Amino acid sequence: MMKQILLLLASVSIAGCAHVGVQPWERDVLARPEMSLDANPLDAAIDDHIYFSKEASSGGRGFGGGGCGCN
Amino acid sequence: MNKQDDLNSLLAAATCALLGSTIANTAAAAEESSSSWSLDSSLLYYGESDNRVQDVSAAIAAKRDFGDERLLGLSLTADTLTGASASGAIALDGPQTFTSPSGRAVYSTPAGEVPLDDTFKDTRFALNANWSQPLARLYNVSAGFGFSTEYDYQHIGANLGLSRDFNKRNTTVSTGFAWSEDTIDPVGGAPIPLSRMLDVGDNSNKLGSDTKSVLDFLLGLTQVIDRDTVLRVNYSYSHSSGYLNDPYKILSVVDPSTGDTIARIPASGLDGPTGIYLFENRPDTRVKQSIYGELKHAFGAHVLNVSYRFMTDDWGIDSNTAEVRLRWPLGDASYIEPQLRYYMQSEADFYRASLVNGEPLPQYASADFRLGQFNAVTLGVKFGRRTASGNEWNTRLEFYQQSGNVPSEQIIGNQAAREQFPDLRAVILQFGYSFKL
Repeated sequence: MMKQILLLLASVSIAGCAHVGVQPWERDVLARPEMSLDANPLDAAIDDHIYFSKEASSGGRGFGGGGCGCN
Repeated sequence: MNKQDDLNSLLAAATCALLGSTIANTAAAAEESSSSWSLDSSLLYYGESDNRVQDVSAAIAAKRDFGDERLLGLSLTADTLTGASASGAIALDGPQTFTSPSGRAVYSTPAGEVPLDDTFKDTRFALNANWSQPLARLYNVSAGFGFSTEYDYQHIGANLGLSRDFNKRNTTVSTGFAWSEDTIDPVGGAPIPLSRMLDVGDNSNKLGSDTKSVLDFLLGLTQVIDRDTVLRVNYSYSHSSGYLNDPYKILSVVDPSTGDTIARIPASGLDGPTGIYLFENRPDTRVKQSIYGELKHAFGAHVLNVSYRFMTDDWGIDSNTAEVRLRWPLGDASYIEPQLRYYMQSEADFYRASLVNGEPLPQYASADFRLGQFNAVTLGVKFGRRTASGNEWNTRLEFYQQSGNVPSEQIIGNQAAREQFPDLRAVILQFGYSFKL
């Protein structure tokens, strides 16, 4: 019984891994502009610049901050 | 038989019509994308309370698609900064006078207040250009260049990136390098580290300009989780070397029992500082590493964006940053997006609220609050509306507040009764307009 449960769990997790991601025709939602990870590059650049000037950390999302005598 | 023929010809006609319209649409789209610029513009006001830093900034970013995913991006920013900034000196029960960075004048701080240097004024222009294009079927390459200039600072930088798609383009692995070379030419010259602030007209402790180099490396993974969810994880490594001091930051030298700044009398007939203040000194290298994760999920028309960053550096600073945004549609053309960000950092190993008179000078010391321990909260909301012609205007209002502490073991005598780490409060107001040319 235990063996069967383990087998079932293993097959479910393998199937789960195989299902990470979508088929090319399932990209309708992801194709919406607001779903882009870089949807608002200007906002992101402004935020990075403000926080770079006021805090000891910068970057992470990309090559953040820099190019400023404010820090 | 006739019926079958009719059906066949009908299907053929429908297929041709569909194909034809698709081809026509694709051609139209290609033509549109290859002949048009998309532009993002914004006007920003950043204002700190108590007459501290005020910034007005205008930015424009243009993007052009030359077809086949070959993209050119250009951006131009102009900033005007005025206002006062904390100098690093501690508050006292009496007024204090300091020599301004230029060495030509003095400024004073009233009794009981944390000293602010109000000679701060600058205009900054920044230009960035970026090109990206596919390299082979699954690869994409990008290259960029950046330049900025202000009165006392010049920056020049370049970056190069490469990414590859896997797993039906559900997984993207990317890597990038950036390099920058900055020149710092402080007003009045870069002070000799840990030297004393001198009387007006005496610039014997000031040197010329200096330079700083930064090398960044980034390794990123983007993964489509399901139809509504995408995840990004980045590892960043950044190495800075050269002049990493803030040339305008000082430390008060205090009495070991009272905690008051040691008094000083300017030479006769001269204006100058009324206490002993030393210019800060930071190490000349810094290595920062960070892990950044971002998840975007659509709940129907709503989009949730959650991100987290952990940063650590060899100056002893660790920071945690978490941010949540929720885009909430209002009808077909508008949306509202509440935003919340929380940030916390520990202080640098060499952060000192003041230096004790008579004790040996530490190798490195800075009283810059930005290297101290503090938490910060940003609360904001963005509202956007698409026009009939497909352009978008938006506005964003945010409140930012920092609250910090000086480590208790660094508070000496009378300092405990005075303000040590003033809160920083700022309002950020931004107007944006996105359009096509």
